[in-house]
Amino acid sequence: MSSGVPSRWNDAASLKRVRRRYAAERRFRAVGLAAVALSVAFLAFLLFNMASKGLGGFTHYEAALPIDFAKSSLFIDPAALNGPDAEQTVASADLTDTLSSAATAAYGQAAADMFGDAAMHRLTKTILANPSVLNGRTTLWLPVSSKVDVAAKGDADAASEKLVSALEQRHALRRTVNMDFLTESDATDPSSVGVWGALKGSFFTILVTIALAFPVGMLAAVYLEEFASKNRWTDLIEVSINNLAAVPSIIFGLLGLAVFLDFMNLPRSAPLVGGLTLALMTFPVIVIAGRNAIKSVPPSIRDAALGVGASRMQVTFHHVLPLALPGILTGTIIGVARALGETAPLLMIGMRAFVAAPPGGITDPATVLPVQIFLWSDEVDRGFVEKTSAAIIVLLLFMLLMNGLAIYLRNRFERRW
Amino acid sequence: MSLGLALVATLIVALAAGWFGYVRASRLRTTSRLHSLPFYHGAYATLWAAIPALLILALWAPVQSRLVDQAVLSSPEGRALPQFEMQRESILSEGREIANGEREQGFNPQSSTLAPRIRAEESRFSLFGGVAAIMAALVAAGFALRRTAPQFRARTGVERWVMIVLFAASLIAILTTLGIFLSLMFESLRFFRLYPVQSFAFGLEWSPQTAIRADQAGSSGAFGSLPLLWGTFFIGAIIAMVVAVPLGLMSAIYLTQYAHPRVRSWLKPILEILAGVPTVVYGYFAALTVAPVVRDFGLSLGIGSASSESALAAGSVMGVMIIPFVSSMADDSIAAVPQAMRDGSLAMGATKSETIRKVLLPAALPGVMGGILLAVSRAIGETMIVVMAAGLAANLTANPFASVTTVTTQIVFLLTGEQEFDSPKTLAAFALGLSLFLITLLLNLIALHIVRRYREQYE
Repeated sequence: MSSGVPSRWNDAASLKRVRRRYAAERRFRAVGLAAVALSVAFLAFLLFNMASKGLGGFTHYEAALPIDFAKSSLFIDPAALNGPDAEQTVASADLTDTLSSAATAAYGQAAADMFGDAAMHRLTKTILANPSVLNGRTTLWLPVSSKVDVAAKGDADAASEKLVSALEQRHALRRTVNMDFLTESDATDPSSVGVWGALKGSFFTILVTIALAFPVGMLAAVYLEEFASKNRWTDLIEVSINNLAAVPSIIFGLLGLAVFLDFMNLPRSAPLVGGLTLALMTFPVIVIAGRNAIKSVPPSIRDAALGVGASRMQVTFHHVLPLALPGILTGTIIGVARALGETAPLLMIGMRAFVAAPPGGITDPATVLPVQIFLWSDEVDRGFVEKTSAAIIVLLLFMLLMNGLAIYLRNRFERRW
Repeated sequence: MSLGLALVATLIVALAAGWFGYVRASRLRTTSRLHSLPFYHGAYATLWAAIPALLILALWAPVQSRLVDQAVLSSPEGRALPQFEMQRESILSEGREIANGEREQGFNPQSSTLAPRIRAEESRFSLFGGVAAIMAALVAAGFALRRTAPQFRARTGVERWVMIVLFAASLIAILTTLGIFLSLMFESLRFFRLYPVQSFAFGLEWSPQTAIRADQAGSSGAFGSLPLLWGTFFIGAIIAMVVAVPLGLMSAIYLTQYAHPRVRSWLKPILEILAGVPTVVYGYFAALTVAPVVRDFGLSLGIGSASSESALAAGSVMGVMIIPFVSSMADDSIAAVPQAMRDGSLAMGATKSETIRKVLLPAALPGVMGGILLAVSRAIGETMIVVMAAGLAANLTANPFASVTTVTTQIVFLLTGEQEFDSPKTLAAFALGLSLFLITLLLNLIALHIVRRYREQYE
């Protein structure tokens, strides 16, 4: 706007300028909306991508296999099946060969390795549950090997493709829910892997984390907010808590490796050490959330309790803390959810080992779900891609559940004074 | 007696002492007026019995494992072990596992002969520690129970103990920080004894592999950290921020200034899910879905060096992960700008976007900058995405389609390979950890300082 020349709001130049400014306004707003939409779209794509890749992992293909046990080379002493070593007896029998020869007899030479470890487990279980099958000829539905499974689900090499279409023509192929995926542990064969061992390991690890981080975090928050006098010492505590909350997680892994494993000689790969490491990582989050929750309890509550003769300790533990607890819990859930998805520090303390048996306690070697995902993602076998995505779906469900719970708690107990 | 057993015994002693205290005080209550409720008398005895004894156990556990090792090594079986430290360590740990019943037999026959000795020493020393803890519990319980009397101020005593516990809980933060710093420092110093500091800090070549084979040329290994720092900076501070800052900032502006409150209450938690997705999922997504697309795009642009493990794939996915972080920091600092400034600008006839760009953002800039610095620090420390999607090759390149490596990737790589302790290769991981810790510490301190100072301006 040049000086001296009088301008009116409704002359052509002004109107044009206003139009331009309004256009800029609309553009700016559209850019903002686009940014939000892009972020949400990315999330949707990520979730859709994982779901479309992984949902297949919860089902698998089974093929009908006629086996003539009476004529096969398999020999299992029926008497031993009643004894305590039944499992051992079946396991030491040559089931692989039986499966292979039965498959070639039924479907030709191409089917020789149509059945893998998963089918062997199923066969073992069937024989143990019902030893009378050994006396004659039966048709069993057994899970096919990973290669055939991948082919049946739509992309693989020509040979497996041909076998699958042959099976389908004879109606010898069906798709069922893969219960093994939820009940089994890690294995070398993708057709027989499952997440149970990792889930159990995650459970024990998180249990240790909560048992340590929640009380310590809550008590530290109480001290800093209710009792600590403002001085250099508490400043130092405050700075270190704020800093710990932002220290990269892998550094906690290095700490765990140097202190818990090398210095204290605690067992490697165990949920105990994993939980300790994650607890150190989680507790600053709990302290910060706890302090905010305690701070938001109005002073009148404290004054009233002090007024009727309660000690400061009683004021805190009988009145302030119960009111602040929902807020502390919300913070704890968010911190624990983060710990549940953490991988890097656990790699540092050796939780990347191949563990085929679910852990029985907090000192047994174990793996956790995110680490299991990481390990499977490294496998070259095609069958593992699907299993990895399926495990990711399980992990994401847990995360959404925990975050949902935190949001619910926040809305349910949020109180304005 | 194992230490676990001693722990249980101590707790039983403590609970029993509490019960006695409670019963005694309740009995006194029938005859006279107590200063404290019987509950506090019980709690007083429990705390006295439990806390010192538990402290003894906690301090004894690490000391014991040292003492056991020393005793085993100086025993005849221990002296027969090979002098070479790595070998000795592995036999010792095998023996330990056999002694604990974790395995039947070790690879090394010597570990089986060592196991009974380890078991004997362990039971000897844990008997020592356990008895000490239980004695301490009994003595302290006796001391506390003797004081049960009508005029005794048990509640004050309990509160003093609780205060000590509260203080100890807050000390853990300092202890953790100190623990991180000391353990990183200690191992790094050992590394710097083997490899000069200045070559680590300013070296342009990183090739830890050569360090394993002592007979080869260049057997000292090259541990110049600059390519790693550049890779870290390139992915975390440049590529990730190019994605995260505009998207996060504009999201925050839209959600706080334009969106209807109901829409906002839905979109904000949805954006927060982005931050809640585990990083291993992002890493898998980046490696499996994003990286091939990026490579194909690079090849179609005619960039021959386009790699399937590109900086761009890792960086852009990391940027998406950071979006909610940037947006919530920006959200906070925009909300902290006083309403009067916004109203003033609008009253002058400025449009909403002009107000945001010319008034709100400049006023909120320090807070936004602090938030971005914190986001950078988080991106630099992020591990799984770069481990899975960025490469292992240390490159000093600004080409986003090329493979670069980062500090965290190398730490994981160095420590999860075949473990050989005390080699420069494993110790280098701690030196990298130390530099990572110092860099993020610096960034965090600057960011917190900026954020805090800025907030105080309007209050």
